[in-house]
Amino acid sequence: MADEPVFEGEDLRFSYLERFLALDGVSLRASVGERVAILGANGSGKSTLLKILDGLIFPDSGTFRAFGQVVTEDLLEDEGFAKGFRSRVGFVFQNSDAQVFSPTVREEVAFGPLQMGWEREDVLCRIGDVLAMLDIADLADRAPYQLSGGEKKRVAIASVLVMNPEVLLFDEPTAALDPRTQQWLVELIGELGRMGKTIVMATHDLGVLELIADRCLVFSEEHRVVATGPPGEILAARDLLLAVNLTHGHCHEHDELTHAHEHDIRHHEEYES
Amino acid sequence: MSSPTPAWLMEPEAGLSPCEPVGKRRKAGFTEKTLGGLSNLMRWAVFSDDVAQEPGLLQRLDPRTKIITLLGLLLVAAFVTHVQVLIVMYAGTLVLAAASRLSLPFFIKRVWLFIPLFTLVIVLPATFSFVTPGHIVVPLWSWNGHPVGLTAQGLYGAALIACRVAVSVSLVVLVTLSTRWMDLLAGLRAFRMPSILILIVGMAYRYLFLLQDAVADMYTARRARSAGSGGGASREGRRFVAASAGALFGKASTLSEEVHQAMVARGYSGDPRTLHALHLGALDGLFALGTALAAVVVIGGDRLLGR
Repeated sequence: MADEPVFEGEDLRFSYLERFLALDGVSLRASVGERVAILGANGSGKSTLLKILDGLIFPDSGTFRAFGQVVTEDLLEDEGFAKGFRSRVGFVFQNSDAQVFSPTVREEVAFGPLQMGWEREDVLCRIGDVLAMLDIADLADRAPYQLSGGEKKRVAIASVLVMNPEVLLFDEPTAALDPRTQQWLVELIGELGRMGKTIVMATHDLGVLELIADRCLVFSEEHRVVATGPPGEILAARDLLLAVNLTHGHCHEHDELTHAHEHDIRHHEEYES
Repeated sequence: MSSPTPAWLMEPEAGLSPCEPVGKRRKAGFTEKTLGGLSNLMRWAVFSDDVAQEPGLLQRLDPRTKIITLLGLLLVAAFVTHVQVLIVMYAGTLVLAAASRLSLPFFIKRVWLFIPLFTLVIVLPATFSFVTPGHIVVPLWSWNGHPVGLTAQGLYGAALIACRVAVSVSLVVLVTLSTRWMDLLAGLRAFRMPSILILIVGMAYRYLFLLQDAVADMYTARRARSAGSGGGASREGRRFVAASAGALFGKASTLSEEVHQAMVARGYSGDPRTLHALHLGALDGLFALGTALAAVVVIGGDRLLGR
């Protein structure tokens, strides 16, 4: 059970407009209950891979399997498969404004379950539970333009969690969030992992990696996977991180000491502690 | 950094203007006024949502009841031929506004600001004797020995149209202020409006604010880097509008693709289902009955006053 694959991608290639390469022969595997972090610099192909995993776009070549089936555009047009796949996989987009499209929070959270054909009463009951769990019950009748960035992110997560998916895809979950919301999200991802959810997330936030991932996939700026391994191992490979633009050479001052070293967000945290 | 810092960036800028007022103010141009108008739209939307949640009479009604009674009363107002009857109807809208906890000065101002703009300009020519012949009450000049001026018949006709528009606008403002935008859309859906249309209109309303923010950001960024107006300001303004329209189109296009993906990711397959469940209560029945009675009384009164 523990090693049962949820997603298997083999030699995936994808280009936008047949010109701009986004994935160049990427292979991956995510097992049931695993938390996989996809690391890479901006534009390395992380979001594209997540969209392929969610069946929103399809690779130009290579094979993508989900729940043992080869996922193709044709298969996702099958009502039965589409319903099963969409109810099992939830995607939290990086841009919450794109995801929170309904006129009110309540309608936003209801959107997914209603498309799945759930009974209205069940949907309302679930909405109450998930809004309370994410501490946004008081926002239920608010319009998206009245929400802060952190609140919109919570609503986006609620709109996915309400369907209780087995797999959660997060695209840059901690990007552009204030520290408190970031901390809340890190704790939530930990909690979801303990619930047995499979989590695949794209990030370049190395500071929280060990808290939110069991395994990492590192993308190069050439859109290939150049390393995989547990977070501790990846974070220790400073040359690798430097090469893939996840950390950078840096010269700065600590009190009266000026020194140079490779640098990522964790450095200051280590120093401050 | 890959290239060395230019020497000029290491030195303070020479020949900067003094940071002192010179007593010359820049006037807001077309672009600024338009953006100001868009910001007002946002304020208006927030205000409307607040008003629509007050515990007033109209707020307690089902949107379908409000839409049907509104349409009925609009029809009645269109057929009434006496100013006195329309004034009674207008008084009725004021009573409804007060019962719905709307601020009366605001409600009256909102309606009467429209009237001179959209009605008086149109009806003004009809008050002249050469358009509506009759008894001249305000002589203006004479032409070929014939007096020209405003006629009693023309003025009465103008007052009739102005009152009719006032009543109609009041009714529409009453419904839109006392109903949340989405409830209004749900009410329309009950009249067999296609659900896809409702979804599109709802989304357009939601993203209007986002795109308005984008325009305001672009404009603020431009303002932050410009000073004074100069002779070419209007041309520059037009260029800004053209450039930002293009940029906005690009943003909207990307956003629409992402929104569609976000919908598909949650199971959307072309037939949207929404949460709305409308509920007709006893108050709706009473209100509809009361409106029907009022309509009969108004039409009867109008007939009694004769032609």
